[in-house]
Amino acid sequence: MKPIKHTEIVDELNRLMAEEMEAFVRYFQLRHRLRGTERLAADKFFETAMQETVEHAEAIARHIRTLGETPRIHVSVEAGGGPVTLKDALSEALVFEQQALEAYRDMLPRVAGDPGLEDFIRKQIATETEHVQEITMLLE
Amino acid sequence: MTDTWKEFEANEVTHSVAHHLVAIHEVGREYGGWARVSDIARWLGITRGSVSINLRNIKARGLVTEDDHRQVKLSEEGLRITQAIMAKKAAVKAFLRDVINVPEEQAEIDSCKVEHLISHSTAENLLRFIKFLTSDDPAAREALSQFRKFEGR
Repeated sequence: MKPIKHTEIVDELNRLMAEEMEAFVRYFQLRHRLRGTERLAADKFFETAMQETVEHAEAIARHIRTLGETPRIHVSVEAGGGPVTLKDALSEALVFEQQALEAYRDMLPRVAGDPGLEDFIRKQIATETEHVQEITMLLE
Repeated sequence: MTDTWKEFEANEVTHSVAHHLVAIHEVGREYGGWARVSDIARWLGITRGSVSINLRNIKARGLVTEDDHRQVKLSEEGLRITQAIMAKKAAVKAFLRDVINVPEEQAEIDSCKVEHLISHSTAENLLRFIKFLTSDDPAAREALSQFRKFEGR
């Protein structure tokens, strides 16, 4: 039987991967709720955000495989709603980006002793912090 | 009767909101009612992102309050609704399990589906009916006994 810690880490990584995949879906849907010039102005931002969430999920999946496991995705997201202003879309993005950041922060002490994972989580915290700062600035 | 569907609009909360409220209640039980988003997400088996997005609507309706650490707690109104939902669920589950012999697991699932949909008065009537059927009243015992025999046919 594998040590509990190993299983817990894999479970946490699967959860982080789900956060990233859901963020992709939310960015995708929010992007299509924007209208007119706001859509034009923010299109690149949302496209980049979508791309990054997939890259993050991919990186997490690689770490799960390195731990000898297969990634498991449990995603349950319903993204609805009509046209949205850019400000509201960014406010929503800020909510789930903050949660992603906190999820990575919570994960850091749990991977102490695994240099590869620790390094990865630190980088993710830095990246997510930048995202949160960027969105916060856009909302000012 | 044809307008029954409109009653759904009149419900205090949706299925999703009901689940979030119950989760906050259960997770916060040991922490003075305060619940972390991560624990709510784990309890519901969904992501933190989803919980946070859903909590925005619940907060806007004044059903929860949030502290500086982003922990949430049921407001007075939130607690009232949550207790009503839990009471309805208990009544429906008891009826399904104890009266019509639905297995425990299925009774849990089905009661969960209707907990937020039935009215308070229906839940109260159901509870009175269960109390009667499970009482020592000879008529109730006879009725249950006859039902079991009928089921066995």
